[in-house]
Amino acid sequence: VSAHPTYLLDRTRIQGAHTLEVYREHGGYRALEQVLKKPWTPEQVVQAVKDSGLRGRGGAGFPCGMKWSFMPDPKKDPRPRYLAVNADESEPGTCKDRVLMEKDPHGLIEGVLIAAYALRASTAYVYVRGEYRRPYQRVQAAVDEARAANLVGRNVLGTDFSCEIWLHKGAGAYICGEETGLMESLEGKRGHPRPKPPFPAVSGLWRSPTTVNNVETIFNVPFIVERGAEWFRSIGTKASTGNFLCGISGHVARPGVYELPFGVSARAILEEVAGGVWKGRRLKAWYPGGSSSGLLPAAAIDTPMDHDSIKAAGSMFGTGAMIVLDETVSVVEASRVISRFYDHESCGQCSQCREGTQWIDQILHRIENGRGVPEDVDLLESLARGMAPGKTICALADAAAIPTLALVKHFRAELLETIRLGRIPDGCVSLRATRALEETHA
Amino acid sequence: VTKIFVNGREIEADPKQPLIKACHDHGIDVPMYCYHPGLTPVGSCRICQVEVKQGDTPPRIVAACRTPVAEGMLVDTESAKAHETRRECLEFLLKNHPLDCPICDKAGECDLQDYAFAEGQARGRSSEPRRKLEKRKSLGDVIVLDEERCILCSRCVRFFQDVTKRPQLTVEGLGSHSVINTFMDRPLTGNYQGNLADVCPVGALTLKRFRFQARVWNLTKTPSTCAECSRGCAITVEALRGRTVQRFRPRYDANVNRWWMCDAGRFAFGPVTLPRAPQGSAIGGRLAGAAVRGFDGIELAPVDLALDLAADLLRAHPRPLVVASPFATCEEARAIEAFAALLGVAPCFVSPPPNGLADDLLHTGDPCPNRRGLTELGFESLEPAALIARLQAAESAVLAGERVAELAGVEALAKLPRSLRLVLFDVQARDLAALDVEVGVPTHVEKTGHWINVDGIWRDVRAALAPPKEVRPLEDTLAELARRLASEGARAR
Repeated sequence: VSAHPTYLLDRTRIQGAHTLEVYREHGGYRALEQVLKKPWTPEQVVQAVKDSGLRGRGGAGFPCGMKWSFMPDPKKDPRPRYLAVNADESEPGTCKDRVLMEKDPHGLIEGVLIAAYALRASTAYVYVRGEYRRPYQRVQAAVDEARAANLVGRNVLGTDFSCEIWLHKGAGAYICGEETGLMESLEGKRGHPRPKPPFPAVSGLWRSPTTVNNVETIFNVPFIVERGAEWFRSIGTKASTGNFLCGISGHVARPGVYELPFGVSARAILEEVAGGVWKGRRLKAWYPGGSSSGLLPAAAIDTPMDHDSIKAAGSMFGTGAMIVLDETVSVVEASRVISRFYDHESCGQCSQCREGTQWIDQILHRIENGRGVPEDVDLLESLARGMAPGKTICALADAAAIPTLALVKHFRAELLETIRLGRIPDGCVSLRATRALEETHA
Repeated sequence: VTKIFVNGREIEADPKQPLIKACHDHGIDVPMYCYHPGLTPVGSCRICQVEVKQGDTPPRIVAACRTPVAEGMLVDTESAKAHETRRECLEFLLKNHPLDCPICDKAGECDLQDYAFAEGQARGRSSEPRRKLEKRKSLGDVIVLDEERCILCSRCVRFFQDVTKRPQLTVEGLGSHSVINTFMDRPLTGNYQGNLADVCPVGALTLKRFRFQARVWNLTKTPSTCAECSRGCAITVEALRGRTVQRFRPRYDANVNRWWMCDAGRFAFGPVTLPRAPQGSAIGGRLAGAAVRGFDGIELAPVDLALDLAADLLRAHPRPLVVASPFATCEEARAIEAFAALLGVAPCFVSPPPNGLADDLLHTGDPCPNRRGLTELGFESLEPAALIARLQAAESAVLAGERVAELAGVEALAKLPRSLRLVLFDVQARDLAALDVEVGVPTHVEKTGHWINVDGIWRDVRAALAPPKEVRPLEDTLAELARRLASEGARAR
């Protein structure tokens, strides 16, 4: 990867950047002042975000400016308006928002304020994953500081714009990261996703117009305001603009969160950024963007990391969280770990998801433990097809079905071999065996 | 109206109404579990998926319960894709559903069973063990929950949220570990718990009172009206092989009770399931024929003889107090009115005070199902105390109609002096000092006629079963007695 412009993580490397003082020293809240004092109209901000081509970083990659423009005209719709920031980062493999919230919370707050201004929302909620104790504390401290400095609350910086920011802690449910589940949870109910339509912009929090954005998406906004849509579009690819945070984990030499422009090949990320597959081993498979994106074989490693290319390769860009599996991994076992997760996290409303996630997990568990039959492979495929796409209220069923379909598509031979042997094939180190070994040494 | 096309047929629907409702209103079958026309749709069971094409976008599969109708929408409920999607959904629903249809009370009227029979595969593809959960969890006095049979449609949860507005149930646990439970395991309360057994599309919530009592395909079903209060809810009377009543279930009536009924009415069997009096005795059960006062007290007698005696008695003690039961149909009331007119008196009816069960949903608290009808016919309403006072002053009295003695107060009636000559037309003979003649009458499930409910709506009362052989409609019995009085009177002249 050649030298490329960075902006998202720049401040996170500065000592004390989470404090208002240091944040301001490094140009913090300048974008907000620009918007409020110049002043920009909310429509201008929406237009700038539209022009920038910013796509949501939460997994679906929906154009952010377009989502904002779905909010109804405030002249015709007097209901209160809300911004909800999705900081319930719980997609397995994903840990990008955490870095931003811990190291640069004011960057998020500035983004929230600008977004709220653009959406004409006077209340913003940040829904923080319950396990994210430190990020929660950092963002809360930053909100308190900002409030004391008249950046949050009534008449921000002496202007007519008022915006309250409230933090809300999740309680450990993956489904509360789904935008409608998040809204239900914010309202104090079980995090059961709501059917769409109506979409949140029409009927969201407390049946009022609401926009839900991911932390990283919001984080991009001040930069777009300050440096311009033109600049933003110059980074990345035509359809996926800007930089993204790539959290690479699994069997790599240097796992971590890296800032990269869209379109860099996955091989470049793996080999140049993350130091290649660990222990000198070979690559077996990889998830491009969290556990919900379909597993891709090693052969697809030259795919550029952007929404359209990954989609063309048969997977999903998701949260850009690459999970790398080396040659010793049993994909059956890895898939079973993930299927267990979806069974555990399905909210249980839709029949296909409630029963299907459990069924897939049971089958994979059986195969792994030597009780599989060859028909199981086709059964897995047919079950996954019965669950997705778009057959349920939310996308959790899809998230469980897609990796299953990818497993059957790319690793049918290994599945059948595991079934035939009645155990994980030679050359694969069973996760369970590894763990047992570690325990005996400890 | 919004025009849509379903399976090539043009249909007019109310704007914004759920697509499934539009289909059902026009007799197009779309299966449903979580959807219920009386509850907020949630779109979670996904069995109602149909194929919809709107505008230029390619056809897509949608849940018909959560899709509002839109002008020009092209709907195909029978497309291969729609069938396939629903079949897949059904397979998931059946994955953990126990195979206990043979002992399930819901079998025969179970939506899951019906649809599995119509569309399902003969063999399941799952070799996994089925979920083991609680098979008989008591949710209070009325309902028992079988967690294994539950398909988590949440209709029961929404019933309390939407209908009684007092939420009592919730889904506990997550995903495949979800179960229905009451808040903090507290038993259900209220007068509407029985509806849960009706809204439950499977055999998860069943009535304790109906548990293992009958197979539903052996029940004969007759549309009729509930006798519990003056609301007159539309019900179905369900009797085992047309003989013993097993259930009262609510029947949809848009103007009265919609889909619901209260537990008081649901279990108001009263004299309906009263066993016959012991062989050879008139007291201690349902009076099948007639009874008269003999040397040894109240004895069984042929109806003809009883009527002869009643005629003699009324001739000797003319101008009796004529009292109707508030259970009397308008037709019976007219007969009573005519009978009273013959004797030259004005009829009244016994009207027990409100029973305290009134609520803001259905129960009116007034235990007189035909108060309105009797009042409109000019019957005077008499509270039991006032009635007893009048009886004490009377020389003779005729009490006519189902449960009339019970409603007047059996204890108070028993204290009336022997000097009062009492002719009773009721379902049960009782040992009253004043009683001279009693003739059996049909119960409200054995007679046909009309009540007028509290809002002035005519309610159909329909005979669901035949009364005991000797029991004849009250109208006929009174006409018979009137004929005797008239002819004997003529002979005397």
